[in-house]
Amino acid sequence: MDAQQYGEKAGLKNMNNLSNIDPALFAKRKRANKLGLTLSMIAMVLGMVFLFWILGVLFYKGFSSLDLAIFTQSTPAPGSEGGGLANAIVGSLMLVGCCTLISTPIGVLAGLYLSEYGARSRIAATTRFVTDIMLSAPSIVIGLFIYALVVAQVRHFSGWAGTIALALIAIPVVVRTTENMLLLVPGSLREAAYALGTPKWKVAFKITLRAAQSGVMTGILLALARVSGETAPLLFTALNNQFFSTNMNAPMANLPVVIFQFAMSPYDNWVDLAWGGALLITIAVLGLNILARVVFREKVQG
Amino acid sequence: MPDKHLSSQFDADLNSLSSRLLEMGGLVESQISTAMRAFTQMDLETCNVVIENEKLVNDLEIQIDLACTELIARRQPTARDLRLVMAVSKAITNLERAGDEAERVAKRTKRLIEAGANYNINVAELRLSGQMAISLLRRSLDAFARLDTIAAAEVVAEDRQIDEEFRGFVRKLITYMMEDPHTITTGLDMLSIAKAIERIGDHSKNIAEFVIYIAKGSDVRHIPHEELVREATKP
Amino acid sequence: MKTMFDLNKIDSHGGRVDLNTNEPAQTEVKNAIEVRNLNFFYGSFQGLKDINLDIEERKVTAFIGPSGCGKSTLLRTLNRMYDLYPGQRAEGEINFYGKNTLAPGEDLNLLRSRIGMVFQKPTPFPMSIYENIAFGVRLYERLSRSEMDERVEWALNKAALWNEAKDILNQSGLSLSGGQQQRLCIARGVAVKPSVILLDEPTSALDPISTGKIEELINELKHEYTIAIVTHNMQQAARVSDYTAYMYLGSLIEYGKTDEIFIKPKRKETEDYITGRFG
Repeated sequence: MDAQQYGEKAGLKNMNNLSNIDPALFAKRKRANKLGLTLSMIAMVLGMVFLFWILGVLFYKGFSSLDLAIFTQSTPAPGSEGGGLANAIVGSLMLVGCCTLISTPIGVLAGLYLSEYGARSRIAATTRFVTDIMLSAPSIVIGLFIYALVVAQVRHFSGWAGTIALALIAIPVVVRTTENMLLLVPGSLREAAYALGTPKWKVAFKITLRAAQSGVMTGILLALARVSGETAPLLFTALNNQFFSTNMNAPMANLPVVIFQFAMSPYDNWVDLAWGGALLITIAVLGLNILARVVFREKVQG
Repeated sequence: MPDKHLSSQFDADLNSLSSRLLEMGGLVESQISTAMRAFTQMDLETCNVVIENEKLVNDLEIQIDLACTELIARRQPTARDLRLVMAVSKAITNLERAGDEAERVAKRTKRLIEAGANYNINVAELRLSGQMAISLLRRSLDAFARLDTIAAAEVVAEDRQIDEEFRGFVRKLITYMMEDPHTITTGLDMLSIAKAIERIGDHSKNIAEFVIYIAKGSDVRHIPHEELVREATKP
Repeated sequence: MKTMFDLNKIDSHGGRVDLNTNEPAQTEVKNAIEVRNLNFFYGSFQGLKDINLDIEERKVTAFIGPSGCGKSTLLRTLNRMYDLYPGQRAEGEINFYGKNTLAPGEDLNLLRSRIGMVFQKPTPFPMSIYENIAFGVRLYERLSRSEMDERVEWALNKAALWNEAKDILNQSGLSLSGGQQQRLCIARGVAVKPSVILLDEPTSALDPISTGKIEELINELKHEYTIAIVTHNMQQAARVSDYTAYMYLGSLIEYGKTDEIFIKPKRKETEDYITGRFG
């Protein structure tokens, strides 16, 4: 469609003032537009294909082993039939739960400090630097570190060591997102609070943090989603437990390590359980991500 | 120091207001001139010209008043501009009334002519004060055009002379009428003409007072003359 | 309601007359804030140059001038808002009912509860309307639930927002319209019962009707509070203020009664600015 036809279609009569539109340029622009759109679509399709492929395989392989037993029975001994992932599920929940309890306050407070108090101080700059490094630290290194620090000292694996390792991974994420979300709060809101005579700590906690709360929550959820699937640190710290146990002071069963153990084993029921576990973790992580988005969008619109 | 508004339209409107006032002033001035000529020459034709043109003066008053109102509505003028608009709105009233006085002179002259135009009284003073009134009006309009407060103060002072001349002529008229009662009708018409000239002087004085208001911001109506001069000569 | 004719009543000698007794009126003028030799610096740039002026209590004082003239800077020194930002400093004296607020060791939070501020952009806190107002009150007063309810209602009434808000007190402050939000901010400022209220271009972001409502509000509030308003709308300054200060490039050019400034300003710079002759 050239410029003239566009004018007619748009119901504009007497498009005499289109005389300055160069039809060749117009056509070229349309072609470039089409090319760009096509390339973008191809890229998107490529990404979606792999995503759905992974999900498809997971569902296909894992769904068959999803039954009530997976939630009620513990991991089976080598060679025995049936069994479930109850102890691993509970163990993961406990590990991730305790990790959240530790990392949320520390991460949020650190992020609060960085954005509200430490705009220019040396400590703040250093903290940010260290946090950025920790964000991209290999999780196996963290696991090894905790192994040397905690496990080797007490000479046994434990759920607490696992929690600490996971926390070391989660905290930088929470710190960064909290700081970024707090920085997004407009200065005018803070000034309005100061203008009432509010002391600085109250402005930070009751106004700024509250204004950024959905963003901060999102950060926490994303940190959770990240650590739920971490395997390497747990290998050195919580290890695994064949039986059902809620003792954090002893090796703790958890889904990632169970999957690691079972997936390459010769036993069929173990392999099935591994796929089931993988599916469970995927659903959990997916769920957390979607929840984070929903929470954020709601608050932004409201 | 910038003298132009950011809005050139505003500048144009204000300038147009001033120039239309001067235009109306010029018209009134010529009306008075013509009326005095009619009186001096006892010419009927000239009287009728003045009477006819009075309508033009009235139309101008209405037009300029409307322009003032529109300017206030659209621009919300302040300070100097506000004082200008307020003063113009009042000055045109004075001019319109001066125009009415000119018409009155013409009408009375016409009556004198129709009654026979024979009188023995020496009307040299009337002619003189007529010239003075015209000059005073011209000078007050001049002072307005230049916003010259010194000239305006002089106008205010000289209006007194016209008042003096008027009082002198009234005394003469009374003597004239007492001597011969048959001349009373004529005498009353003369009185009317003299009064009209005296009032024209007053209107010119008012316009001069507005000039001081615009330029200095002081309302100098009804204050003693020394104070007026002081306000007019303030830097 | 007092009109211009009441205020302009003068006796034969040109002095003001007390309307009740027809005797010369008592001219007992009290200043809420006296600024003396105030200089302000953004780092090495001087934002305010030797400012001297008085802000009379229970009157509205407006600050006008082109952008960058320092009017907002001056307002923000009055409640020491600039203290939040390192590199900004003030020298001189600002006497708030006799006490110099620029003295070191001054309790800034307490000062800001006595000198409140409303900003150009309405900034309701992310809480319910009730909580928005209660927040400031709770900082310095301990009120029972019923007392707090009363205070909230009183503040919303003062801001002409009670009728619109009384049924939605638990809804978020952000759910109000722009004009309502700004009135909420004013209610919030009034609720802590300050002596002075500073308004920094409070209606710049609002439509004409909301602007009119807030100007009407200022007219009401000035019976009890001292008000200082910064505005870039000259007609607004002419409408709402009793005194006007014209500033240019950090200096105070002219300060006087609003009527005088807008009919017969003393300085040519002032006249050029208010008549729109910017050159």
